[in-house]
Amino acid sequence: MKWTGEDVALYERERDYIDTALLPLLPVAFGQGAKRFASGGELVGLIAAEVERQLKGRLFLLPSFVYFADEPRALLTERLADWTNRLRREGMKHLFYVTCDRAWQEGEEADRVWFVPVVPLESMDESYKHKLVREQAAELLRFLVGRWAQE
Amino acid sequence: MSDNKHRVTRRQFLNYTLTGVGGFMAAGMLMPMLRFAFDPLLKDEAGTDMVAVADVKEITTEPKRFDFKVKVKDAWYESEEPKSAWVYKTDKGEIIALSPICKHLGCTVDWNTDKEHPNQFFCPCHYGRYTKDGTNVPGTPPQAPLDRYEYKVKDGKLYLGKAKPRKEA
Repeated sequence: MKWTGEDVALYERERDYIDTALLPLLPVAFGQGAKRFASGGELVGLIAAEVERQLKGRLFLLPSFVYFADEPRALLTERLADWTNRLRREGMKHLFYVTCDRAWQEGEEADRVWFVPVVPLESMDESYKHKLVREQAAELLRFLVGRWAQE
Repeated sequence: MSDNKHRVTRRQFLNYTLTGVGGFMAAGMLMPMLRFAFDPLLKDEAGTDMVAVADVKEITTEPKRFDFKVKVKDAWYESEEPKSAWVYKTDKGEIIALSPICKHLGCTVDWNTDKEHPNQFFCPCHYGRYTKDGTNVPGTPPQAPLDRYEYKVKDGKLYLGKAKPRKEA
């Protein structure tokens, strides 16, 4: 499922089956590090979209959780916790985050965070880029399917 | 002198220019209208074009996944949509190209990944299953068999068209 009118209508009919939310956590910055965050965000977007395509019937890919990279961490954690609670109340039994921001690998939700290493996509060959996205998506997919079996 | 014959009068000049300009304006208005009116007739039926997917040589009796791309138009974006097909040959040599889209809620099914039920298509989302010919296994969530691609073989290549639903199993 994507956050589109068509998919949300399907979600509302089939709520019982769609019990997993995937939330991209996207840092934004200007000046130093801007390009790296943008590149990382781009890759996260591509991988998330591919995983959504393959697990459409159970996974809801939500609009991203966007923040400035230098926002106070405590506030961010609090805001994310609030989002998480809301999603759980909406019946999302499984909740995963996908991000290019290493900082999320520490802290409470760390085991639900899928980290995507930043690579300079813009200087990459088209076919290599495809391969990279496909491989990364396959790994994330295995991770999700594995967690479904466990939880 | 004979000059008079060729001299264009002011009235004639204005007439020529006005007809000329008017004609262009009328044509400019009419052309798009005609184009709109006849457009449905001129346009190829969407989705009829087939895409080369694989060499026929590569196809075995074991389903194999082939990825390809088709052009789609989504509102104002024109883009290439990645698609896949599970392709195999039956014992009689007939080619079967199945769409990997689960008929339940649209996940992508995989071949032979469920250890308890080998040689079936398996959907990781809600554990839907299909037999090798794409028939849904009763008792699992899907209510219909997997779609089959229209295909043709030309010069040793497999071309796939639209995925068409099959009759209920």
